[in-house]
Parts: sequence; structure tokens; C-alpha cells
Amino acid sequence: MHEAGDRVLVETSDETIEGTLMPSEGNVVLKLKSGYNIGISKDRIKKISLLSKHLAVSEEKARHIAREKSKKSITILHTGGTIASKVDYETGAVIARFSPEEIISMFPELKDIANVDSKLIAQMWSDDMRFEHYQKMAHAVEEELKKNVDGIIITHGTDTLGYSAAALAFMCEIPIPVILVGAQRSSDRGSSDAAMNLICAAEFVAKTDFAGIAICMHENMDDNNCVILPPTKTRKMHASRRDAFKAVNDIPIARINYKTRKIEFLREHKKRSAEAWRINPKMEDKIALIKIHTNMKREQFDVYQGYKGLVIEGTGLGHAPVGLEVNKPIMEGIIDLIKSGTLVAMTSQCIYGRTHSHVYSNAVKLANAGVIYCEDTLPETAFIKLAWLLGNYKKKEAASLMAENLRGEISDRSAE
Amino acid sequence: MKDYKELGFRCGLEIHQQLEGKKLFCNCNTLNSSREANTRFERYLRASAGETGEIDVAALYEMKKGKGFVYDSHSEDTCLVEFDEEPPHNVNPEALRTALVIAKLLNCKVEDEIHFMRKIVIDGSNTSAFQRTALVGRNGYIKTSKGNVRVASLCLEEEAAKKIEDAKDFTKYRLDRLGIPLLEIATETDIVDPEHAKETASAIGMILRSVPNVKRGLGTIRQDVNISIKGGARTEIKGFQDLRSIPKVIDFEVERQQKLLREKKSIQNEVRKAEPDFTTSFLRPMPGAARMYPETDIPPIQVTKEMIEVEKPVSLAESAENIEKEFGIRKDLAQLLAKSGKLALFASIAKKNKNVKPAFIVETLISAPKEIKRKFEIEINRLADKEYEEIFSYLNEGKISKDVVFDVLIDYAKGEFDIGRYAKESGEDIEKEIKKICDENKGASQGALMGIVMQKFRGKIDGKKAMEVVKKYSG
Repeated sequence: MHEAGDRVLVETSDETIEGTLMPSEGNVVLKLKSGYNIGISKDRIKKISLLSKHLAVSEEKARHIAREKSKKSITILHTGGTIASKVDYETGAVIARFSPEEIISMFPELKDIANVDSKLIAQMWSDDMRFEHYQKMAHAVEEELKKNVDGIIITHGTDTLGYSAAALAFMCEIPIPVILVGAQRSSDRGSSDAAMNLICAAEFVAKTDFAGIAICMHENMDDNNCVILPPTKTRKMHASRRDAFKAVNDIPIARINYKTRKIEFLREHKKRSAEAWRINPKMEDKIALIKIHTNMKREQFDVYQGYKGLVIEGTGLGHAPVGLEVNKPIMEGIIDLIKSGTLVAMTSQCIYGRTHSHVYSNAVKLANAGVIYCEDTLPETAFIKLAWLLGNYKKKEAASLMAENLRGEISDRSAE
Repeated sequence: MKDYKELGFRCGLEIHQQLEGKKLFCNCNTLNSSREANTRFERYLRASAGETGEIDVAALYEMKKGKGFVYDSHSEDTCLVEFDEEPPHNVNPEALRTALVIAKLLNCKVEDEIHFMRKIVIDGSNTSAFQRTALVGRNGYIKTSKGNVRVASLCLEEEAAKKIEDAKDFTKYRLDRLGIPLLEIATETDIVDPEHAKETASAIGMILRSVPNVKRGLGTIRQDVNISIKGGARTEIKGFQDLRSIPKVIDFEVERQQKLLREKKSIQNEVRKAEPDFTTSFLRPMPGAARMYPETDIPPIQVTKEMIEVEKPVSLAESAENIEKEFGIRKDLAQLLAKSGKLALFASIAKKNKNVKPAFIVETLISAPKEIKRKFEIEINRLADKEYEEIFSYLNEGKISKDVVFDVLIDYAKGEFDIGRYAKESGEDIEKEIKKICDENKGASQGALMGIVMQKFRGKIDGKKAMEVVKKYSG
């Protein structure tokens, strides 16, 4: 049988076509000499004869990259996504690339900024992330800390990048910068935002005294600035734009001009130090996040019986349907959860703004029942925080810490 | 005259035709807008290496320039898809249908399954750094006076953004053109001489204009010519102002290559631009071959029997012939009608208005707008078919006279037409009035009398008729 990459001659009822076989299901897909792919119906094909076998592409030769003592050392940890990938023009497949040599060959600018090391720790769509992956990242960060690197960049799929940043922020108290970087356009295309995000992150790590977890992404549709965003207050606010990541109820930490490489801090930040690091990667597994909507039923809450924590993404100031008589079972459902030991926390699906437990009677009822109001914590951050608190603290302590600011997740002033 | 066969002359065409309607991968209008931009952003593009580690020469050439790109657009003509901020939507079914009809007219074999590809372009003309393009049909042909010219391929693709400024640090593009559906027709190198290239381009143009939703007007169709001679190199010439310049530009390019050969200088495969003086200038190196990969955001399109078993439309050339016979007009007039896209309008008017001579209808539809534009700088082409129908029905019924058609057209264009101003009064009434004028101005010359009469009755009486009456009463 012929395989993808083989050069073949396809004879059909009315023509003979030469081309390279592409991977496909259903029709036979052929890449013509012109570069175009076409699909040929199997019914029409009389014969496929081999012209030459596919030659496996030889691995790129690793070029030794000299380390310069004067430069900072940065380790890039890859968790997946396509920040470093190439296209196989023969088969059209996108192939991820992770070795330091490959990273430098794709982004040669990096070697002028720092001595770069690169490691693959996971390879997945960010939607597939589980708590164990956050722990893996935290352990990888610790390994690099032991080697005295000056900073770490973590490449990450963008969909759940905000969750990972929050998780690392709670897990890692560290004296060096760890910057999460994603790309909204995959790096196999010339218009990818991967290079700029990566280069700006490297500049930020190499040239500033910042310590802690942060995110580096485009500030707007232009390729002019990247912003360094706070790990617990950043959310993906657009499905596809380059500037999808926004600081919510907060402002960015710094701005990096891609062209001039000028870095401007926009607020106070924690500085590098010689202090010891602390990594607490434990997380409670049975935690959930539920969104309030109209016409809810009690059983939607009952499914969380046995969960250690539940974050509610309430309406408005932090409400749930507990006013009308017909919705009484919902209130009872929530009370039952709390009585059976679930820690229930409240956030707002408005995303922008702060919850309040006393303006409306529905909130008063919920607060009286023991629901913890999380101020202006983002729902996703509250979810991660609750899991981390319950993994590391007793329930009572965790309950009180949910309403306190630990990593910048709660601001004491609402500036906007 | 050169012996092109002896020279090893090889020549093929690549024709690009914009389609009417919505864009290929989003719901924006295809306006070729000129309104002031209200959105602007800046980008850089990178050349990414293929798996073989090689960067395409053309791509590398662009990247080395290290330039940024500035994109201007109006928010009503563009959306996030043109900004490369949203994946492409499904392919515009209207554009696909048109491509399949054209494939039929070009006698192409349509693919069983159409795959959109990403053709790498990093000169900034595509915000995504690639052009989405799909091979729709192959192995067609068109008939010409010098034999069949084979059609190698018909592709449906995205139009690129329009370059509006080439500054030192950046290149500026307008985005409203990006994403307009574009048909690309490439012929084999069957063209035998420069004149034949022009004939072939014209014939393909006629075929394209045979279907309703291709765009018309400046810049909506472009011809690229590929040429080589024995010992020379392949050059692709872009940017022809009009078809008439094709033979001369080709001839000059052949001479340029001959001169380089005589001087034993090396000739590069390259893309050149046709200049107004028929010479060509270097544009960029010829793009390499390995620069396409699948557009995975768009699933392959299964071409069903229903999709290709559309009735083959009558080509414009055939329609022109039919009109010529049916209405007894000259061949060149029929061709003019065909090229201007007014064949159907003409046929409809000529059928309904038997009292008006067909040749006069052609003249009114084709020459009058040009003449009015030249003399009065008024754009008559904006008139709707319905308005032309109305004008000719007035003529047919004798409500207005042939002499005043220009004035009527101008009034229509200005939206000021009022039949009351033109309606012919009864011959008797006018004759009485003319007699009165002649009586009141005894001794005045016939010319002077005519002046007074025509001032009063312009549009209501033929000049010839008026002269007769004046002669009758001034004698």
C-alpha cells in the first residue's frame, strides 16, 4: 500500500495525474507539482502506481550555540500549543519543534537577548489541562530554580493560559520571573504573534528586576507593544484576536515596545531577590465552577454533593435564583451543599466589577447561608484559588482566605 | 516581424478576475472602497522555514527588507477576517458557483474535491502572510484564430490588499480589496506570438464577462504574461494598463532578453512590471514552488453532480453573434455591446421598441455615455436598465424626439427628468406657433427665425421638421 509522501501516478477513467500522496480519509488527496492539493474520488481511480517512495526528512543538524557569560540564562518550558512549529510542505503537517537549536533557528533574535535553554514538559491542547499539569509545571520551575536560571518562559495554549498563570501564582513564591506566553496565530504562519510575544517576554526577563509569575501577550491588534499581565487578574476576552488577554479589574504590569525594545513599568512590582523559594503544588481535586442562569433546577447543584469546593459565577453583584417560592429548592440545594461540607464561593459573571453580599436580598440570603463572597476575584481565579487553598489549608482557614488577597487576585480599590 | 517559432518563444497568460457579491471568506461587501480609513494597524511578517529548512526565495527577499506593514481600512468594508484576527468563515457559495460555471465555459475538468491551500506571500499584501487559493479545474481550452490555447488551471482565491504607499520603513496597504473572490486562469504556453497573447486575453475576458457576477471596471481584471525565449529566462510581466499594450510589451521583453543574450549577461527568472512606455522593470524574484500548504481552517469541498451539472451559459461571443443576426446590426457594434455588458439590455429594448432603429439604440447605450462624460463630465453609466427602458419607450411612442436623447440622458443622470418638458406638442399647435413667430418677425432671416423657434420648442420638435415649417411661413 502507498503511504503519504509517496510520489505516485493516479490513473482514472479519463486522465493520468502525477503527484504526491497526502494523508487523507475518503477521497485520495494528491499534491500536484503546482503545490495545489486535489481530492480524487476513489470510484474514478483505476490504478495507483508508485513513482518513488517518500524520503523521511532528516533531522536538522544540531548547531552548537555558544553561551555568553554576560547574558542572562532563560529556560523555555513547552507545554504544547504551536508557539514553535514548522510546516512540512510535502504533507502539510504542522510539526512542533522544541530543542534549543530549533527554537533558536526559528527565533534567532533570542540568542542576542539571552542564553536560551528549552525543554518539552507536555504537549497538549490547553483545554486538556488538569491540576496534575499545573503541578508538573511547578516542579519544572523548581528544577530550573535549582539550576540558578535567571528566568523562565512557559509556552502555553491560550484557551486556559489564564488558569495556569493563576495556579502557578498560588503555587510558586519565587525570586525570579516566570512568564507565560501564548500565540493566537500559530507559528507556522508568517503573521504569527508567537515570535513577538516570545521575544518581548525574553527581553522582559533579561532586562528587568521583575520577580514572580506573569503573562506576556499582544497589547492590541498592532505588532507594536506587548504587555506583561498579572497572573490572577488576566482573562482571555476574545476568541481569536491577538490582544485577547486583558487585565480585568486591574492594569498591566509593564509594556514592552517590540521595535525599540523599551520596557516601561506601569505599576509597582515584586523585585528579584536572593530569598528562598517556596513551592506548594498541592491542589484539592474535587472543585467545580458553576454558572448561574435563568430557569435553574436544584439538581444542578445536587451533582456537587461530595465536592470540597464550588465556585458560583453569579449574576450581577453575586446572585443566584433564590427569591421566588418556586426557586426555594435551589436555596435549599445550596444550603445542603454547605451543610455537607462543600465550601461555596461567589463571584460575578459580569467579569468586570466586584461582588457585594448586602445590596439585594438574594445575596443576603446566600451570604447568611455561608456562601463566601470573593470581592473582585475572577471566577476562574476563584476556582483555582479554592482548589489550592483546600489542598494546603484546613477548611476554616481556606474559607477565610478566599475573601482575602493573597496574590493580587483581590484589589482593595475598584479603579474602573 | 520576428520569427517567434525560431526564437523558441514560449508564452502563457494568467488572468485574474474579481467577482461581485460578498467576500470569499467573510460577509463583507466587495466595494473597492475609497472612503477615508477609520481603522489602522501595524504588523510585521516573518519568513518561516519549511520542514526542509529552506525559506522560499521570494519570501526571504521580502523579509530581508525588514519592513513593517501599515493597514488602513474602513470598518464597514472589512472585519476581523481581513485583519487576520478571526479564522475564515465558510467559502462563499455564490463565488464557488461562479467558478464552476467558468470552469465549464473554459472546458475544464472540475476536481472531485476542492482543497483550499495557503500560498505563502509575505510582501504584506495578505495580513495572514498567505493567500487562500484552491484549484477548481484543470485541462481546459479556449478557441482562438491561431488554434486552441489550453487552460492549465482555474483557481478560486482571495484578492490581495492594495498597496497604497511604499515608504522607507513601511509599506501601506488598503484592506477593503483583501478577500474579494478572485478567479485565476492560467493557460499553457500555447501562445504563438505577441498579437496572439492579446487575442487570447481578450477571448478569456469575453468568457468571464459571460456570467453575471464578475466585476467590471478598472482594476477588476488583470493580465499577467509569462514569456521565455530559447537561452533566456522565464519572466512574468504584471501590471498591463490595457490589452492593447500586451503585444508591444512582450516584443520589448523579447528584445531585452535577446540583448542580454548577445551581451552574454545572465538572465534571471523574475517578475517584472509593465511600464506605460511598454518597457518592463524588475519587481521581485520569481517565487519558488514549495510554498503551499493546506488551509486547515476550511474543510475540503466535495463537488457533487448537482454542483457541476449546471447548464453551460451562452458565451458572450455566441450572444454577440445571435444579436448581430437577430437585429441586423454590424458585427463591431454587437461586439461592443458584448464587451460593455449591455447585450441583454440592448436585446430587451430593441425587441420592445420596433420604431427605434437598433443602431441608434447601440449608439445611445455605448457612445452617448462616453460623449456626455467627455463634454459635460457627467457620469451616465450610473443609469439603471429600467431608466434606459423608459427613455426608449418614450422614443418609441413618439413622446420625445431622437434629437433630445442627450438632454434626456443628462436629466436622468441628474435625477431631474420631467416628461412635461420634453413631450411633443401636437404638430398643428406647433405649426400655428411657428407661423405666429414668422408673422411677428417679418424680414428676419430664416436662421434667426430658427433660433427663436428652437429656443422655444427644443425637445418638442425635430430640427428638420421645424426648418420645413419655418421655410413655409417665412417665404
